[in-house]
Amino acid sequence: MELRKRQTPMLTGDIFDEFPDESDWDAIIIGAGPNGLMTGAYLAKAGAKVAVVERRYEVGGGLATEEILFPCYYSNMHAIYHMMVDYMPVMQDFNLDKHALVWIKPNLQTAMVFEDGSSLLLTRMVEDTADSIHKVSHKDAVAFGKLMRTWRRMVSEIVGPATYLPPTPSLDWIVALQRTEVGRELLELNEGSPLEIMTDHFENDRVRALMLYVACMWGLDPRETGIGLFVPLLLERGMNKCYCYGGSHKFAGALAREIVRAEGTILEAAEVTRINMQNGNVAGVELMEGRTLNSKVVISSLDPHTTFFDLVGKESLPTTLKETVENWKYDKWSYYTLHLVAKEKPKYQCDDPWVNESFMTVFGFDSTDQVVAHWNNVMAGKVDGDFGGHSTCESFWDPHLVRMPGGEVSFFQMHAPYDIEGGWEKRNKELEEAILDKWQKAAPNMKRENIIMTSPETPVDIEIRFPNMRRGAIKHGDYTPMQLGYNRPNTECSSSKTPIGGLYLCGASTYPGGMVTGGPGYVAANKVAEDMGLKKWWKPTPAMEKYIKTYME
Amino acid sequence: MEFMRKSTEEIYDIVIIGGGPNGVALAAYLAKCGLSVCVLEERSEAGGACEQTEPIAGVRINPHAAVMYAAAAPGWEQLELWKYGFRMSWEPAWAFTPLIKTVMTTEGAVPFSDKDGLGWAKITGMLGSPTFTKELLRATFWCPPHPPEVEVTAENIPFMQVYKERAPEIWTEELLQMTMFDLMDEYLETEPFKVMQAFASWYSGAAAHYQGMAIPAMGGNIAVTLYGASAPRGGMHDYFHAILRCALAHGAVVRTCCPVEEIIIRNGQAVGVHLRDNAAWGEKTIWADKAVVSAVDVRQTFNKLIGPQHVDRGLLQKVNDISLKGGSIYVSHFLTREPLRLSPKFKDWPHMTGGIYPCDSREIYYDHVADVDGHKGDPTMPAQRVFWMAVPDGRFPSTDPQCTIPNHYLVSPFYVFVPPPEYHVDGPDAINKYKEKWNAYMREAFSQVVENLNSDSLVYHWANTPLESEFRNTGLIGGGYSGARLCKDHMWTNRPLPELSRYCTPIDRLYLGNQSTGHPGGLCLMAIPYNLMHILIEDGIAEPGNWWYPSPWYIPERGKISAIPRK
Ligand SMILES: Cc1cc2nc3c(=O)[nH]c(=O)nc-3n(C[C@H](O)[C@H](O)[C@H](O)COP(=O)(O)OP(=O)(O)OC[C@H]3O[C@@H](n4cnc5c(N)ncnc54)[C@H](O)[C@@H]3O)c2cc1C
Ligand SMILES: Cc1cc2nc3c(=O)[nH]c(=O)nc-3n(C[C@H](O)[C@H](O)[C@H](O)COP(=O)(O)OP(=O)(O)OC[C@H]3O[C@@H](n4cnc5c(N)ncnc54)[C@H](O)[C@@H]3O)c2cc1C
Repeated sequence: MELRKRQTPMLTGDIFDEFPDESDWDAIIIGAGPNGLMTGAYLAKAGAKVAVVERRYEVGGGLATEEILFPCYYSNMHAIYHMMVDYMPVMQDFNLDKHALVWIKPNLQTAMVFEDGSSLLLTRMVEDTADSIHKVSHKDAVAFGKLMRTWRRMVSEIVGPATYLPPTPSLDWIVALQRTEVGRELLELNEGSPLEIMTDHFENDRVRALMLYVACMWGLDPRETGIGLFVPLLLERGMNKCYCYGGSHKFAGALAREIVRAEGTILEAAEVTRINMQNGNVAGVELMEGRTLNSKVVISSLDPHTTFFDLVGKESLPTTLKETVENWKYDKWSYYTLHLVAKEKPKYQCDDPWVNESFMTVFGFDSTDQVVAHWNNVMAGKVDGDFGGHSTCESFWDPHLVRMPGGEVSFFQMHAPYDIEGGWEKRNKELEEAILDKWQKAAPNMKRENIIMTSPETPVDIEIRFPNMRRGAIKHGDYTPMQLGYNRPNTECSSSKTPIGGLYLCGASTYPGGMVTGGPGYVAANKVAEDMGLKKWWKPTPAMEKYIKTYME
Repeated sequence: MEFMRKSTEEIYDIVIIGGGPNGVALAAYLAKCGLSVCVLEERSEAGGACEQTEPIAGVRINPHAAVMYAAAAPGWEQLELWKYGFRMSWEPAWAFTPLIKTVMTTEGAVPFSDKDGLGWAKITGMLGSPTFTKELLRATFWCPPHPPEVEVTAENIPFMQVYKERAPEIWTEELLQMTMFDLMDEYLETEPFKVMQAFASWYSGAAAHYQGMAIPAMGGNIAVTLYGASAPRGGMHDYFHAILRCALAHGAVVRTCCPVEEIIIRNGQAVGVHLRDNAAWGEKTIWADKAVVSAVDVRQTFNKLIGPQHVDRGLLQKVNDISLKGGSIYVSHFLTREPLRLSPKFKDWPHMTGGIYPCDSREIYYDHVADVDGHKGDPTMPAQRVFWMAVPDGRFPSTDPQCTIPNHYLVSPFYVFVPPPEYHVDGPDAINKYKEKWNAYMREAFSQVVENLNSDSLVYHWANTPLESEFRNTGLIGGGYSGARLCKDHMWTNRPLPELSRYCTPIDRLYLGNQSTGHPGGLCLMAIPYNLMHILIEDGIAEPGNWWYPSPWYIPERGKISAIPRK
């Protein structure tokens, strides 16, 4: 352990004070991603003396907006599509717009552009999507409208609010959902695989392809059964994505401001290397630089391996916990993203000019089979010429990302394996070229002479930036029935309290899971506040209250 | 107020334009006085030129500021920055302090003498008993200029008072006329040692060849070397975080993505600001009940934010004549697969691949001055002789690395002075046109000292030219670190102009708080906010608690409230 070395104040007299080598806290939160920040903001405002410790030089975790197109162009290299803004309790509980936090929710959410120049649109307003589907199938357009009627209810009455309440053991939940018709329908839906669900509801293959892509892009296996309840959630929320004006990092900045206003402390460049234990309970954390922070409550937002094996240590774990951690599966696929600055915004060659204003544009796929084949490839560690993915022109939404006039910032993102055949060092450049070829085919002005600068981020890079996103796992762990709901990360820890005294979890590997939902952070804040005997100054959202009344009482 | 406000519009006591380190430190001071403060920053992240970025995963580069110059600031105590998580990455002296025994020249690392070391220690106050280095720095930078009615003399200039009291043998009226070279010629002997200090000073504010700048030039130099050129843990942006959080904790509002379009002036009084239409904040007018402070560059402040209609032509001319020279930097960042190795003739240079080169003679120094500020064209010095300063990754302790990609190594930043874009004979964007060529030139310059900066090893060479710096960070005029030359005409009661010294403007309730707009300029962070505090107390705007203490050399303006607390 390297203790900070202070140069003897070379004949210069006294020196200013620094943060102390040892300090005492009511609660320590490891990791300042969206979840850690939310837990911190609630607890600090409840009067706890909170320290949030972050390994990087900047808070935010997946809420990162940086000048990765250096110099002068910024990009959101991780979370950009914010799907849960309508449900996150932080939006009601904190006055975040005071920090100039502004969300943009474009009507045209996702466009899929096909090789023959046709396109399909998925919009926030149901009728606009139906209009687009009418081009290929009246039946599907009608089916879509009908489906959304129930799916929206499933989300707004059940899955949306449940995201912010502690998990219910699976059997109890099944019983509870029987109480309503929409609950029963959801349970039924849960039996099917995403692919089956799309096939059952839509006849047109391209409509299926679009819906399947949007529902599964965050990591559902299209053939897996028992995860069907995520399909309405991810599709409906996929129609309500928001962009954070000024970049996703502004959201992190607003949350951090709330922590500080409530007298919480944030330490950056502060990698936790050890969770200190005393008589089987946590006693605090140790930072890489040698400083110690003492607390009887430690809340980790990191992946299970880091929290339990690296920081607590195997020797302090109960056997069952050790086993679940050993068996923990990281995401089945990660992301490869090519960020670039071009002289123009992409102009897609297709039948609908509105596509150029789409928040997300999917291209490279012509059929459901092709989508599924790409994912199968990825799960087998391969990427071949038939890949597809999604892109966004960020500067279309956000002039603040551009510091030097004359460039537009866009990215293309595709699912990709961590262990790619041939290795990323070798495949990186090749893939970049293949993406640019494909992009130019879809949007002819994305030709090489219009590209000013590129910056790829491979799954390995994701892990380098955030070691807790092991194997480039954007959700800190796969979505499978064994790792979801009450099972995430395991039945003992999913309500955020662990079997180790004083240790809690608040990150994406805990119920309800990954993405910027704020779920794990909020659930943990509630649990810790209860256990610490803090007065909760906040109330559940109206949707949560209704859900509790309908299903839990 | 005689005009109508919409009820939805916001009112604060103080509105500060620009969320750089100066604007936000001022917000921290004022919020700590109990005032309601709103800072409006144009970019999506506040911090101004104290920033870091991670252009590829695992590599943290410093596009601008890299090391801490502010160690002597009263702000550490007054703002209690330790509370807000502030930590340093202390390292033993690595670069150009007298503790090291050699200097880098084209001949290799050459030694300097005890006389040099002792002479330097003497004039910088380190041999005083007790030492008076910190006092000297505070006197030079952390003290507001004297009020207009006070004649500035060799007796009352703060640093002169320090010498007179603490080292009378050094004090002479001549100190006010000398260049730093003159001063060194008197106390030191080895030419390369003097040239190294001269370069270090030029990089730290006032240059060694500016007339009458001997002490400020030396001061900038020791401000950085004093504490071993150490950096805040996590880099200069994490220093900024401590400032920001201090401001927030005391209730200040700091909004990003809120560029200010104009300062609203009614009856000769600044009363608020309008935001540009791409601002994130819905309501685009924000009112200030007590004062507006512009913490953005002086040219933008007068030409755009205030606007020519509120400033007389004579003053505007002077504003536009303020020199942008003396700090335009071409910043490189090298990521390599091998650790860079010093070539054999530098085997005695103990400080990794960082430092200052080449320090052979004053001729090289003056050639470089001519190239940067005389010729006003692209660099003409052969790469073998061009002067650079580098900060290697290895400088940071292993607990605070800049590069975490396995088996990769970083040198960031690598600074070379170039002409200010505004003065380039081929127009401001000239330096951007041949970036590839200039990048190769920078590598060639560095390769005079390291032997393996070659295409096999080099993974990335990022660079920000001064023009790019101006765009990245509106208001880094000249693409440099002080925004206005730190020569005698722009220092102390002349900074930025005699009419605007003491951070005031002809517009009532409008103050200036940017590095380009007041003494002492860039680098010595927390100086402008601390100095400006004296003025805001005088004007009855700020009333600090008993945490406040003024500069011991401060002279109140006649007829105003003194910033010296009454016992
Ligand atoms: C390429 C990519 C694209 C994505 N796109 C989206 C999207 O569009 N929409 C969406 O909702 N989600 C998206 N995600 C997922 C989302 O970013 C994550 O699921 C989310 O950030 C998880 O939040 P968290 O707070 O649990 O953890 P994280 O955001 O991972 O934060 C954990 C924090 O802990 C820190 N840390 C790590 N180790 C230590 C240590 N030892 N000590 C102290 N601190 C430590 C990390 O630096 C990090 O800041 C994307 C992710 C990636 C990688
Ligand atoms: C290359 C380089 C190297 C440097 N090295 C060091 C170093 O090693 N150590 C050190 O201490 N210092 C260093 N400095 C100097 C230091 O960074 C500056 O002195 C400091 O950042 C000045 O702070 P400021 O607040 O006055 O101005 P700035 O940092 O320029 O901040 C001004 C802020 O105002 C914002 N702004 C501009 N216009 C508007 C508008 N209309 N509305 C709203 N906001 C606006 C800008 O976006 C910016 O954030 C360096 C500077 C440079 C350029």
